[in-house]
Amino acid sequence: MFGEKAGNLIKELSRCENVLPPYNTDMVKEVCAEIKQLDDLNRSNGAIVANESGLAVNSNPLYPTLRIGVTALKRNVRCLIAYHHNRLRILRTMRWEFGSVLPADIKVNMSSEEVEWFCQYSRNLAKYMRSIGEDGLNLGLDLRPPKSLYIEVRCLVDYGKFELSDGTVLLLKKDSRHYLPRTECEELITKGIFQHIL
Amino acid sequence: MEVDNEGETEMASLELEDDDDLTLEQVLEMMEVAWLNEKFAPEILPHKREIVELLLGQITYLEERLQQLPSTDFKKGIHQMEIDRLRYLLTSYLRLRLEKIETFHKQILLEEEKRADENEALYLSPKELEFAQEFEQDLEAHLAANMNFCPNWQESTATERIVQPNLNSMVFLKAKKDVEGIAIDDGKAESSDLIDLASGSQVLINYNNVASLVKNGDVHLI
Repeated sequence: MFGEKAGNLIKELSRCENVLPPYNTDMVKEVCAEIKQLDDLNRSNGAIVANESGLAVNSNPLYPTLRIGVTALKRNVRCLIAYHHNRLRILRTMRWEFGSVLPADIKVNMSSEEVEWFCQYSRNLAKYMRSIGEDGLNLGLDLRPPKSLYIEVRCLVDYGKFELSDGTVLLLKKDSRHYLPRTECEELITKGIFQHIL
Repeated sequence: MEVDNEGETEMASLELEDDDDLTLEQVLEMMEVAWLNEKFAPEILPHKREIVELLLGQITYLEERLQQLPSTDFKKGIHQMEIDRLRYLLTSYLRLRLEKIETFHKQILLEEEKRADENEALYLSPKELEFAQEFEQDLEAHLAANMNFCPNWQESTATERIVQPNLNSMVFLKAKKDVEGIAIDDGKAESSDLIDLASGSQVLINYNNVASLVKNGDVHLI
């Protein structure tokens, strides 16, 4: 049935909310092939309908076939656009969650065009953030309203030395617990080095 | 009691910037209103550039003042918390705007163009506009890279790909002053009721009917 593959593509994406499924190259290729096939079909049918000028256009027996072909083509194109567009929206959310460097397990699911788009987006965003105020404002920080000044965190990896803004140097070891100012550790939490203990 | 008083006066002096007519409190109040409006309105609202700049200046100023306090001072923690709250308010406001710009970028750019043609004030700040334009370019380039095998996909889907905010969504609002004669348009042309809002009253209403009031500041969303 026409349009089925494109529909499956969308379904696959909507099943994984906030997770990026692998870029389905095969399916996308199949949908593209279907679009091309439909396009050819519509062109030849259209030519026949136009040539049989004796009949009114919409009483031609081929007319319903042509209409279905055109609708299916449109639907396929639209699904394909939606697939690509919504994948970008997921990536965009991830830019805010993980920062400009994505974890490797997400990168393997991206197509090369998506990697490029992500770099562009990051660059654009960084440019915007630098332009706020006199020396820029990092919108990637302060993502949640501050509840308390200090939070308790557990270090998940052997990170090594970490200098606080007041000059104190901490040695961060795996599974060590720290009680630190929230502003200092926010970045390390998003990077996955710290875990916030509630 | 004595300690309390001393603390309060010092806090007050910290919060007041000498060469400015507005106190931090007033700036903060305006920022909060702008933030709430932006948060609950379905469409993008005019950028409150003056307030953002004032608040940014205040934050920098407060941070400088804070540096001078000795780290053993217990008030330092309280002020730091206050600054963090201010910064959250500001970043959250700008983030909300960016999110809207990204979602409705085509619609917004079209409207901005129209406004520029009619010499009206733009809703986006110049930098936001730049961001929106680049975002649009990147998105189009990405889609084109994936779709260019298909002839005239761009023209045939141009109108379908414009994402529009739902201006008919319901919003809670609070009136700041008496407003008379808001036409309630329920989609049927002939039956439009008029309602009046008393100052301080709160109503649940269709956003489309009050969009202009939100923008001129007679009411604010909650």
